[in-house]
Amino acid sequence: MQFFKVIQWIVWKDLVSEIRNRENVSSMFFFALAVILIFSFSFSMDQAATKELMPGIIWVAFGFTGIIGLGKSFLPEVQNDCMEYLQMAPVSKGAIYLGKLFGNILFLLLAEIILFPLFILFFNLDILDKLPIILLIFLVATMGLSALGTLFSALTVQIRAREVMFPILLLPLAVPVFIGAVESTRGALNGDPLYLYLQWLELLAVFDLIFMIVSFWVFEFILDY
Amino acid sequence: MLASRFIGRLRKVQNWIALMAGLFLAVGLYQALVVSPSDYYQGEVVRIMYIHVPFAEGAMLAYTVLFFGSLWYLWKRDPVIDNLCHASAGIGILFTTVALITGSIWAKPTWNTWWTWDPRLVSFAVLLLILIGYIMLRSFLDDKEKEARYSAVLAIIGFVDLPIVHFSVEWWRTLHQPLSISSRGVSIATPILIPLICMSIGLYLLFAYMLMVRTQMLYLEYLLEAKQGRLLSEIQL
Repeated sequence: MQFFKVIQWIVWKDLVSEIRNRENVSSMFFFALAVILIFSFSFSMDQAATKELMPGIIWVAFGFTGIIGLGKSFLPEVQNDCMEYLQMAPVSKGAIYLGKLFGNILFLLLAEIILFPLFILFFNLDILDKLPIILLIFLVATMGLSALGTLFSALTVQIRAREVMFPILLLPLAVPVFIGAVESTRGALNGDPLYLYLQWLELLAVFDLIFMIVSFWVFEFILDY
Repeated sequence: MLASRFIGRLRKVQNWIALMAGLFLAVGLYQALVVSPSDYYQGEVVRIMYIHVPFAEGAMLAYTVLFFGSLWYLWKRDPVIDNLCHASAGIGILFTTVALITGSIWAKPTWNTWWTWDPRLVSFAVLLLILIGYIMLRSFLDDKEKEARYSAVLAIIGFVDLPIVHFSVEWWRTLHQPLSISSRGVSIATPILIPLICMSIGLYLLFAYMLMVRTQMLYLEYLLEAKQGRLLSEIQL
């Protein structure tokens, strides 16, 4: 029972500190806003080009947002000297990972949900009827991205070149997430029937599962003394 | 420790391994460049295969050693194994780069493109990026023990990721482009197989030799640093 309590506490702690200083979500939001604006200047898009490029643009923006947000997820712990306490806490290290992970999924998903209406607005997307499946895609892809991001955040947070190393480690390993997310988003935006892009969602789900399990196991060695 | 004893024993035969590697590579190169016939479809271009394929195999071997070494390190915490992993990653970068460059040179005349989004190519490129990230991560960590632990974690995660990258790219391409890369038109006949096997064995032996030498170098560096630390603390006392 204590295992789930630990997860709950860490999510709650991150949530409260986020609500109090709004540092992470707001920086993610404004960064992604800038990315969207730059994309809309960079490509002059007609209806056909929008359909072709939109899924990629969405996930590049969300990927960068994730780098900004996820990379910082262990920073408050280091700044407040809490890493040692996490290391010493007589609880499962995996539970600490899962707590951080669920917090990150929550923040990233929140940023994505705030941003998505802006995409609809700026790029004239007409997709209101496909919203449930798009939200599902966001959820599954965000879980995969966060599973890796949380682990690498813990890995890089205590080293010198933190800001450089985090994307260098995360982006190559997250290639399958980006491919799966872009392809399934493309299917959803085109209004294809679900079975045409269902395997991408399956790939994302499998990816989430494998990486959560492996990260859950190896996280113990990161917080080890 | 077990690993140190094993490596110590291997050290006695390492020059023999180097000699054998040189022998196999010389015979293999002679066979590949002079004896073996040129390919019916590709002409002389096919000879790059004798360099490309063994190096690609060597890169995969290096990453396998890195993965199992990392598991072993997390299990036993033997610093020699960590040096072995570090050495293996460095050699892996060299082999992967050679394999990618020769592959690209080979692809231009045969596929008429330097690069294509073939699953194997993408997973090799990702492999190279992971290895570079691995070495960079190591260089940014000061604490030796932490460096070993973190990099082992990264190597394990990266090894798990590679098959997923491979399959996702395979799906990604086959879904949209049913006609993927055409067959290379190389059927393995004996005059081609012999130099290929020679080169592969030579490269494996070369890898083993390089791995041993580099591991020893890194271990000596480790000892030197430990000793310097001790001397420093004596001075401060």
